[in-house]
Amino acid sequence: MNEGNIKNFINELESSINSNKILMDDIILKLYSREPSGIEGKAKTVVFPENNDDVSKILSLAYKYEVPIYAQGSSSSLSGNAAPLKEGVIVSFERMNKIKELNITDSIAIVEPGIRIDELNINLEKSGYMFPIDPASQSVATIGGAINNGAGGLKGAKYGTMKDWVNGLQIVLADENGTTLFVGCKTVKCRKGYDLTRLIIGSEGTLALVTEAVLRLTPIPESIVTSLALFNDLSDLLNAFIEIKSSGIQPYIAEFMDSKTVEMASKGIELNFTPEGNMLLISIDTTKESTDKIKKFLENKLSKHNANKIITSLNQEEAEEMGLFKIRRNLFAAQVSMGQVIYGANKKLQVFIEDIVVPPSKIIEAVNKVRDLGIKYGLQVSIGGHIGDGNIHPSVVYDPTDESTKDKVIKWYNEVMRIALELNGSISAEHGIGILKKEGLVMEMNYYNSSKELSIMRSIKSIFDPKGILNPGKVL
Amino acid sequence: MINDIMLFDEVNRCMYCGFCESVCPTISLGPHRGYGPRGRVNLIKEILKNNTITEEVLSSIYSCLLCNACNLVCPAKIDIGRAVREVRAIINNYNKQSIKKKIIIRER
Repeated sequence: MNEGNIKNFINELESSINSNKILMDDIILKLYSREPSGIEGKAKTVVFPENNDDVSKILSLAYKYEVPIYAQGSSSSLSGNAAPLKEGVIVSFERMNKIKELNITDSIAIVEPGIRIDELNINLEKSGYMFPIDPASQSVATIGGAINNGAGGLKGAKYGTMKDWVNGLQIVLADENGTTLFVGCKTVKCRKGYDLTRLIIGSEGTLALVTEAVLRLTPIPESIVTSLALFNDLSDLLNAFIEIKSSGIQPYIAEFMDSKTVEMASKGIELNFTPEGNMLLISIDTTKESTDKIKKFLENKLSKHNANKIITSLNQEEAEEMGLFKIRRNLFAAQVSMGQVIYGANKKLQVFIEDIVVPPSKIIEAVNKVRDLGIKYGLQVSIGGHIGDGNIHPSVVYDPTDESTKDKVIKWYNEVMRIALELNGSISAEHGIGILKKEGLVMEMNYYNSSKELSIMRSIKSIFDPKGILNPGKVL
Repeated sequence: MINDIMLFDEVNRCMYCGFCESVCPTISLGPHRGYGPRGRVNLIKEILKNNTITEEVLSSIYSCLLCNACNLVCPAKIDIGRAVREVRAIINNYNKQSIKKKIIIRER
């Protein structure tokens, strides 16, 4: 792609959409070239569409001039999913952030992609409903980003991931006319031929741009009983979880953190208890009448496996008052603090967060193997994650200018993925492939003797995006 | 007042998570990310690194209300409010003529 193509693209775009939707200030452009993964690219311009027609014009011209297009929500993804690797144009959806329709009877919300997940839930709460996908970054993450990354979250144990909560999508294709399609249905039940909705979910902006989403909603549970339990021995914690998970109860949330991470995450926050040991945070949704029964159930199981402290709240308000979620919410800060202890407070640090998933029955083996791997590489590994659905996020923090540590971290990262595969799991649960997991994806296809999947995926990509201009260099 | 190097070290710790944007009262009112704390912190870095400024960057820096809400949620514990105050002082103390020239040149 030559420089002239982008110039021609911008010239023609300026004559078809308002110039205040186009940004070319070199310094501001840098804000759209970076992600928390540490990967940086080079955006040549940012376009801020305000409706579907704008997106259609942008993609039609991008097709004509073969200009790379990178769709962005809030750039909070962790696998290099939306960074502009080749010089190209960012399509930032921050101005398309409206709730267009809310229908409680149908349990759907029709939204634009730029709305942040927390903002959506603040609006839904008034009606007693929620959108249950809650990545730890939900205060900043957008619905469009969550769709494209196939996001999950804390409630994944009960509600799954984005693929389970999107009924239909309005998408725009990168073709001559910037064709608009509506894939899927407004209803949950839908047999409209092949399921293109779920093909777009998790496609990381490589197949089409999403301009509207029909989301499923669910009522906020009447009561949620939450126990925070601390264990000296991580094996006891894991066994307690396995027993609860095997008792015919589906946890609403089940999170864990190892003792070192708990120590770091507890610094600087006010708690009514001493947070020592490995932490299991487990919530079960129920009716008001059954809260005592659930409390007893949880406390019995946790005590049986030698929890040295158990604090239980009977509802969400009590959980907030008791600060039960404070440590978990402070996880990212804890990972950064761990680096500051090692490298010093003024050092620029990079946090590398793994995202493997194994069947919950294999979680004990996975955690033990990941812990041994950290010791093998001499890395300070923080281990925690969504134990309820087998998704763990081991992470390391390092100085990105220290090449030898960086090299070790990359080897560690690849070996963690290998552990997931050996335990019948997968290399990515909810962060996506982006750039960082492309090799891992090939590893997984080969491991399961399924490498033809990759060629099928490449064929699908070429049908949707024949000129290869949508988020080039990602996923495949 | 802290020196440029200390200020650079402070803002250079940004991990780019964007958590600060969720509490910022100005980001939704501005035309782009520069009107939020993540944007401002990284623009300060660019100002210090390249000694360059544009009208758009100035608007980003001066649209901050200095409410410090972002400081409370930053995982890297950057004192963002202070960093904005410091860079405003630096901009004020620059050779104003040369900054103006740069702005004019860049806007042509």
